[in-house]
Amino acid sequence: MRWQKLGQIFRFIDSPFASRFVSHAQSPQALVLDDRIRVYFSTRLEDKPGQFVSHVQYVDYDFNFKQVLGYSDHEVIALGTRGTFDEHGIFPLSPTPVGDKVYGYTNGIARRVSVAVETGVGFAVSDDNGQTFTKYGAGPLLSATTYEPFLVGDPFVREFDGAFHMYYLYGKKWSEATDEHAPERVYKIGHAVSPDGIAWTKENKSIIPDSLNEDECQALPTVIEIDGKYHMYFCYRSMVGFRDGSGQAYRIGYAYSDDLVTWTRDDAVAGIELSDTGWDSEMMCYPNIFACHDSIYLLYNGNNFGRDGFGVAKLING
Amino acid sequence: MLKWKKLGQIFDPRDYAGDERPWLAEYAQAPATLIFDDFVRVYFSCRPPRDENGQFVSYTAFVDLDRKDLRKVVNLAKKPILELGKRGCFDEFGTYPTSVIRVDDEVWAYYAGWTRAVTVPFVVGVGMAKSKDDGETFERLGDGPILPYTPEEPFTISGPKIRRFNDKYYLFYVAGNAWLEIDGRPEISHRIRMATSDNGIDWMRQNEDLIANAWDDHESQASPDVIFANGRYHMFFCGWVPKNFRETKARRIGYASSEDLIHWTRDDVKAGITISDDAKAFDHEMVAYPHVFELDGKTYMLYLGNAVGRYGFGLAELEGELA
Repeated sequence: MRWQKLGQIFRFIDSPFASRFVSHAQSPQALVLDDRIRVYFSTRLEDKPGQFVSHVQYVDYDFNFKQVLGYSDHEVIALGTRGTFDEHGIFPLSPTPVGDKVYGYTNGIARRVSVAVETGVGFAVSDDNGQTFTKYGAGPLLSATTYEPFLVGDPFVREFDGAFHMYYLYGKKWSEATDEHAPERVYKIGHAVSPDGIAWTKENKSIIPDSLNEDECQALPTVIEIDGKYHMYFCYRSMVGFRDGSGQAYRIGYAYSDDLVTWTRDDAVAGIELSDTGWDSEMMCYPNIFACHDSIYLLYNGNNFGRDGFGVAKLING
Repeated sequence: MLKWKKLGQIFDPRDYAGDERPWLAEYAQAPATLIFDDFVRVYFSCRPPRDENGQFVSYTAFVDLDRKDLRKVVNLAKKPILELGKRGCFDEFGTYPTSVIRVDDEVWAYYAGWTRAVTVPFVVGVGMAKSKDDGETFERLGDGPILPYTPEEPFTISGPKIRRFNDKYYLFYVAGNAWLEIDGRPEISHRIRMATSDNGIDWMRQNEDLIANAWDDHESQASPDVIFANGRYHMFFCGWVPKNFRETKARRIGYASSEDLIHWTRDDVKAGITISDDAKAFDHEMVAYPHVFELDGKTYMLYLGNAVGRYGFGLAELEGELA
């Protein structure tokens, strides 16, 4: 795969969101509409000193990402009420068009005491081309179960071959706290299928082999079909030291499959690397791959987990 | 109205607190029985002393009572039946309550596990564990809950009671209906619900409240304990009114019956058991968390007294039949 980087297309501080939110435009995810590409992302408010909640907003682009056509200036999807799984943030929202509706799958966040957070996969439906989403109940569609005991989240859903497929992450372990760091999480990519996008059956296993070590964290899977073959992009990092450079920061990983179930990992084929300098020179994370007319794009975040915005690349050779 | 003869308090955990059992200081909550040839094993949930921050955890253990005289303790667990859950898991800070059932030569336990949250004091889920040694020790099926949160049941899921009727497994439990704010503190309102299963592991939820409210719009229901007798299903449960139960200390035992396990007719008066008049009685302030079982031709109820079982549980014997 070969990609042409189109650069950072969204800078938080130059956007209208800078007056309403604190920072970040994380996990950009595209919805291709008749006349525009709508890109959802999560941005932050500070609810207590040093603590943040993520809210979903969007920005609209023309089909070439040359021009901004609009911004959300309203609540796109509400956070949960007290005690629910998405009370402290939604990050990200992953849209997929189904008939004349848009299904939104979310990663909901709620704070805990012994670990930072617990997450679950929420579901919401839009009847207005993705301007607003109504939640399907107050609880999660997928959450911790017997063999995936915590941190079920980061859903990505597409209809392939007459069924809905969800790629998501689930927690494998929380490390014990040490003098250097709070408990850190390890998570892997899983797969579930559904006839209707609502009732899901989990495969209950890790589908992407590790490349760093067994404590590798894999996140934000995104899948596309090109000529009968399925391609998955995701991001991965080491369990510790991923913030300060002492370990492996987020990089883009890649795997392919013929049947959506068995995946072969081959990061070297991803075709997209850190830049030598600039906004994506230290980290690349939260990829979202999609087709728009005859082009295939990859949205992603760069340094600092998307604190300053996101960028896009265009596939020039599959 | 049913008539119960109270046999008094039969187990007080404070009698057994000490170095040998650092996990047991007080509380013996939510009794559930497993019957053996010579004794009746009663599972209960207890707490070690609170930590330096005033926080507690809860464990499940058991006490064996003489089958011929249930007021006699013949054995007490040397350790809890399960360790606490791993970091980040749903049951990291407690397993309470627990319900058991024999399945071939194993004993299966369904338990509520809880962890601490930030805007609410706890989050609860239902887990499962199996024993190969007659219910002395258990191993979890996995580290996560068997009943996940769902769009229909977004809050705490707790109080499981496992039963088998007509070749099917039934799990009665409670699901949070709302987190209320009472005097600035969050209080949960629970409703009784049910799920069914062919194998005891994969569950289909009914997604309906089984028992209509009678005390308050936001009453909290718990301990849905179901027994079949004389052609009908009988449910004893307990409940309280979140807006005043901390002042009134009132927890009561209610009753409902059903022909089909799905449609229940509530008739609390029939329960026939309430607090004792004697100010010194262990159940002078409240009666709660009933468990009804049959043994050698008699019907008994184990239940909690004051302070929700802080000082243990008592026993009552039904006079006449459960009909």
